[in-house]
Amino acid sequence: MRIPILKLGKYLLISIQVELDDQTAIQFQEDLLNRIHQEGSQGIVIDLTSVDMIDSYIAKVIGDVVKMSNLMGAKVVLTGIQPAVAITLVEMGVSLNEVHTALDLEQGLETLQQELEG
Amino acid sequence: MHSSVIDYIHQRKTHYITKWKEDLTQLVFQQEGLSDDLTEDITNEMIDLVFDGLFSEEHEQEERLRRFADRLSHYGLPLSDYIRGLQSMRQTVKSDLDAQYSEGQVAAFEAWLDELISKLVDAGAKTQERVIDLQNVALKEMSAPLIPVFDRISVMPLIGTIDTKRAQQIMENLLEGIIEFRTQVVLIDITGVPVVDTMVAQHIIKVSKAVGLVGSKCIIVGIRPEIAQTIVNLGIDLSKFSTTSNLKEGVETALAITQREITPLSTS
Amino acid sequence: MRTQPSVEVGTEWGIVSARQAGRELAKEVGFNNVDQARIATAISELARNIYLYTENGVIELEVVEKDALKGMKIIARDDGPGIENIRDVMEDGYSSSGGLGAGLPGVKRLLDEFDIESELGNGTVISTIKWLR
Ligand SMILES: Nc1ncnc2c1ncn2[C@@H]1O[C@H](COP(=O)(O)OP(=O)(O)OP(=O)(O)O)[C@@H](O)[C@H]1O
Ligand SMILES: [Mg+2]
Repeated sequence: MRIPILKLGKYLLISIQVELDDQTAIQFQEDLLNRIHQEGSQGIVIDLTSVDMIDSYIAKVIGDVVKMSNLMGAKVVLTGIQPAVAITLVEMGVSLNEVHTALDLEQGLETLQQELEG
Repeated sequence: MHSSVIDYIHQRKTHYITKWKEDLTQLVFQQEGLSDDLTEDITNEMIDLVFDGLFSEEHEQEERLRRFADRLSHYGLPLSDYIRGLQSMRQTVKSDLDAQYSEGQVAAFEAWLDELISKLVDAGAKTQERVIDLQNVALKEMSAPLIPVFDRISVMPLIGTIDTKRAQQIMENLLEGIIEFRTQVVLIDITGVPVVDTMVAQHIIKVSKAVGLVGSKCIIVGIRPEIAQTIVNLGIDLSKFSTTSNLKEGVETALAITQREITPLSTS
Repeated sequence: MRTQPSVEVGTEWGIVSARQAGRELAKEVGFNNVDQARIATAISELARNIYLYTENGVIELEVVEKDALKGMKIIARDDGPGIENIRDVMEDGYSSSGGLGAGLPGVKRLLDEFDIESELGNGTVISTIKWLR
């Protein structure tokens, strides 16, 4: 299963709609980095509105993908993390440190705009 | 108590009641906001309680005492006034009995009345305990509301002690509210939290982390001097979190974050 | 007491099926949204440990009742290598695999009861309960 990556102007937009198993998560990491390379994207929004659980492994994959994207010069904003997911992450002691977040896609794009265009 | 004593008191019931009501009026009736009918009614209940108490079964009497104490508490009437009323009745009855009965008989009457008073005090204390328990539960269950104050800015006032259970509830409320109102900045006001120890600070830190994950920001406001002292003395690091001493500054910061400010209307 | 069929965790798919079965049962028992996420996440951690560190194992789900309390029991059972120093693995950040090491201590925080028994060379049984509030 592959997660579709959409291009929206200068940005890449990913909305995760499937159950994130490990394979899908790793595949997504690879696909995204390749797309950043191809497009020279500077901003990425990953929307997690439909994700109902993030365990420590998936959290690590997501945290890693953010760091890798940053290394390639792209800023990432995570949007739509559900309250239940945020609570479990915090209780687990998993902090997605230094990661930009926004309430929804719209505000995520706004955040990117502010970050990139001052 | 000897049955002839009981009969004697009962025969003179009307006399005692009249005398006693005069005393009670002086002692009790200063309570404001209660209708005369109601005070009269409560006084009568008290009188019945005493005179029926001469004959009734012990457990039945306890049940009535409990109900009476509940009733006083419900109307905010001080139990002590009524107990002073009972003491005044003791004097009246005792001086009557002294003239006719042996010392032992009079002592038995006094012991009986002492017992009644101590039961009434017990019932009052139990009522008080129940009220406090209920208040505690109510305080714990009182879910902290998230109040939208400006577009994209909300306030959550925390009041009372925060234990783990309540912290979880607050967290759920807060996050759901943030999504509902699309809150970008939330001000958590801890002015009403009496003690901030390591546990409470830990809960607050967790809450602000979760708020960050859903894509909002949180400012902790209402840090009183003594709370700032405890936080630093306990070695709790809140430096990564935005904090202000009062709500007003918090609101200003929140407006700045959402790129707005309050300016006076120009008067041209 | 009702025992659900246990879920085999031999492959990565086993992890997904185990946590999905857990969420289903949690919903049935009446856990709210957040507790469902806690339960699904805990199962995912336990199942992933089985997948990563042992050949195979199972996740068993059960509805339990005690006095007036209702809850859900989650048992992770494997016959893998066992855990040598339980105190170490219960520390935040301890990992033998480059993971976050949040797994086991995290599971303990997400649920209400947590018990671990492990024998070197003979496998591990982790038994947990989440009570319905
Ligand atoms: N079922 C098991 N059998 C044998 N060893 C285990 C088992 N479960 C856990 N362990 C050991 O305990 C360590 C800690 O596990 P834990 O789940 O807390 O962290 P992790 O799996 O290393 O990282 P994370 O779960 O954060 O991705 C593991 O690194 C592993 O060495
Ligand atoms: Mg693990």
